[in-house]
Amino acid sequence: MTATRRDTFHVRIARHGLVFRFSRRSTVLTSVLWLCAGGVLALSLGLGEFDLRLADTLRVLGGGGTLIEYDVVVRDRLPRAVTALGVGAAFGVSGAILQRIAANPLVSPDVIGVNAGASFGALFVITVLGGAGASLVLGALAGALLTGAAIVLIALNHGLSGYRLVLVGIGIAAMLSSGTSYLLIQADYRQVLNAASWLTGSLANRGTLHVAVIAGTLAVVVPVLLVLGRHLRVLELGDDLSRALSGGTRRIRLSLITTAVVLAAMATAAAGPIGFVALVAPQITRRLLPGRPVPLGTAAATGALLVIGSDLAARLLFAPTELPVGAVTGVIGAPVLLYLLARANRIGHTG
Amino acid sequence: MNPDSTPATTLSATTLSAGTLSASATATTLSTSDLTLAYGDRHVVRDVSVAVPPGRITVIVGANGSGKSTLLRGLARLMAPRRGSVLLDGRDMARLGARTLAQRLGLLPQQPLAPDGITVSDLVGRGRHPHQRWFRQHTEADSAAIAAAMEATGITDLAERPVDELSGGQRQRAWLALALAQEPDVMLLDEPTTYLDLAHQVDLLELLTHLNATLGRTTVLVLHDLNLASRYAHHLVAVKDGRIAAEGPPADVLTPDTIESVFSLSCAVINDPLTGTPIALPRPQPR
Ligand SMILES: Nc1ncnc2c1ncn2[C@@H]1O[C@H](COP(=O)(O)OP(=O)(O)O)[C@@H](O)[C@H]1O
Ligand SMILES: [Mg+2]
Repeated sequence: MTATRRDTFHVRIARHGLVFRFSRRSTVLTSVLWLCAGGVLALSLGLGEFDLRLADTLRVLGGGGTLIEYDVVVRDRLPRAVTALGVGAAFGVSGAILQRIAANPLVSPDVIGVNAGASFGALFVITVLGGAGASLVLGALAGALLTGAAIVLIALNHGLSGYRLVLVGIGIAAMLSSGTSYLLIQADYRQVLNAASWLTGSLANRGTLHVAVIAGTLAVVVPVLLVLGRHLRVLELGDDLSRALSGGTRRIRLSLITTAVVLAAMATAAAGPIGFVALVAPQITRRLLPGRPVPLGTAAATGALLVIGSDLAARLLFAPTELPVGAVTGVIGAPVLLYLLARANRIGHTG
Repeated sequence: MNPDSTPATTLSATTLSAGTLSASATATTLSTSDLTLAYGDRHVVRDVSVAVPPGRITVIVGANGSGKSTLLRGLARLMAPRRGSVLLDGRDMARLGARTLAQRLGLLPQQPLAPDGITVSDLVGRGRHPHQRWFRQHTEADSAAIAAAMEATGITDLAERPVDELSGGQRQRAWLALALAQEPDVMLLDEPTTYLDLAHQVDLLELLTHLNATLGRTTVLVLHDLNLASRYAHHLVAVKDGRIAAEGPPADVLTPDTIESVFSLSCAVINDPLTGTPIALPRPQPR
C-alpha cells in the first residue's frame, strides 16, 4: 500500500510564486539510479584492454596523465560512455511517454516502427550511398523522423488511440524490415558486416558528433518536458476525460507523442536501434515504484543505467572481442524485468 | 466508517462538509442551438436545441445507441458540431479558451479507466489539473478542493487505497470526487450508476441531489433507469434517434405515449406513493 499524500512534497520558490510537486520515493530512487549510472561511468572510463585505477582515471580527466592515457580515457571512452547515458535516458523517457499515453506497456518506439525507420535510413546510406559517420547519423535520423511522422499522421486521423498507434506502427515496421532485408541482400559482404553491427545498436567509435547529437536533443527536450510532462497525469486517464480536463484539445497529446518520437529518433541516430531499452526501462521503473505512474526522470535514469551497464558488460565479457551493446541490453534487461515481475506477484501486486 | 457498506449513513457525513466545496456564484446556463454531431458520415445527434436549466439536475434518457453519450460529448466540446453550436452562458463554446472551458465544465465518461495501481487521492487530485500550471503545480485551494471532494463523497478513509482494489460503489464515488475536485460550474456525468446495485445507485443519486442542492451546480446525467430518472431529475430529456423526443418535468415527459415512442415499450404510468413522481411499469407481454 502506498501513502501518496505523505509521499508528495512541494518545492516552493516563494519569491516567484513557483510551486513544483515531487514524490519522495521517486526522487530518492531517481537519485540512487543516477548515482549508480555515474559509478558505472567511472568504471567504464577505467576498465578495458587498457586498465586504469579509479584514482588514475580521475587524474587523467583532470588533465594529468600520459598522452596515451588521455587518448584512451578522454578521446575514446568518455564520448562512448556519455553517449550511452544520453541514449539510455532518451530511450527510457520516450518509452515512458508512449506507454503512459497509450496506457499500454507494449507501446514503445521499437514496437511502433521508429527504430525500423532509422535502420532502413542508415542501411540505405551504408549500402546505396556508401556513406559512414555523419551521413550515417543523418540517414538514420531521416528514416526515424519520417517513419514517426507517418505513424502519427495516420494514427491522428483516428484519434490517436493506443491500439491504433501500435497496429499502424507494427504494419509500418514490417514493411520497413522487408525493405531492410532487401537492401542487405543487395549489399556486398563488407557492407553487410558494417551494417550488422549498426543494426544491433553499437556504441563503438562514438565521438563528439554523437555526443553532440544526443546532448543537443536532451538540452531541447528536457525543458519541453518540464512544461508538458505534468499533462501525462491526465492523458493517461483516457481520451475523453483527458480532453475534458484540458479543455477539449488534443494538442498536448500530439506534442508529447512527437517529443517521444524525436527522442527515439535522435537516440537511434546516435547509437543505432538499441533494442528493448525503451520498452523495458519504463517497466522496470514501474516495478520499482509500484502504485504510481512511471515518472519520466526515473525512467531516464533506469534507461541510462541499463545502457551504460550493458555497454560495459559488452566490452568486458568477451574481451578482447567487443559485443555491440544492443546484443546485451536484452540479456540484462529481460531478467531484471522478469525478476521484478515474479517478486511483484509474490507480494501481491498485479504486474 | 466504510462508505461502501453503509450507503444510508453517508449523507449525514456529507451534510457537514459539502459547504466547503466552493459553490458556483451564479448558476451557469448550458444550451445548444440546432446542434448536429456526427462520426464521419453518420449523423448521430440531429438538430438538437436544448436548454439545460441552470443550477438544476437534468437527466437524459433514451434507448441504447440513441445518441445520449454523443450529445454529452458534444456538450463538453469533445466533438466539433457538424452544424449548430453549444452555448455556455449564451456564448459560443467554440470560441472559449481551453483552460477556461476545463475550469467551467466537467465530464465523467461512461467507463473511465484509472491507471494501474494509483491511489484514490492521486486520482481525485488529477481533477485539479485545469487549475494548475507547470510552474504552479499545487496551491492551498487544490488541497482544500481535494479534501472537500473526498469528504463529500465519503471516501476520505479510502484516500491511500489503490483504485483497482475498490468495490464498484467506492470506485464510482472516487470518480465523482475527481469531477467535484475540478469544481466546474457544470458537471456532465455519463451513466454514473452503471454496475452499481440498487442501494448504491440510490445512494449516488441522493449524493448528487444533495450536492446540487448545497452547491447549486448545474448537473447533467445520463441514466438508464427511467424510474430513478423520474425521481431525481428536475428536468428530463428523452432522446430518440439523436433527436429530442420530449423534455420537461418528469411528470410531463414520462407518459405512456412518450415511453412507447422512445423505448418501443408499452407501459402503464402510476404515481410513486413515496414521492409523487411518475413510475413506469412495463406491461406484461402476452405469449
Ligand atoms: N466513436 C464512434 N465512432 C462511430 N460511431 C459511434 C462512435 N461512438 C458512438 N457511435 C455510434 O453513435 C450512435 C450513438 O451512440 P451513443 O451516443 O454512444 O449512444 P448511447 O449513449 O445513447 O447509447 C451509436 O449508433 C453508436 O454506434
Ligand atoms: Mg452511452
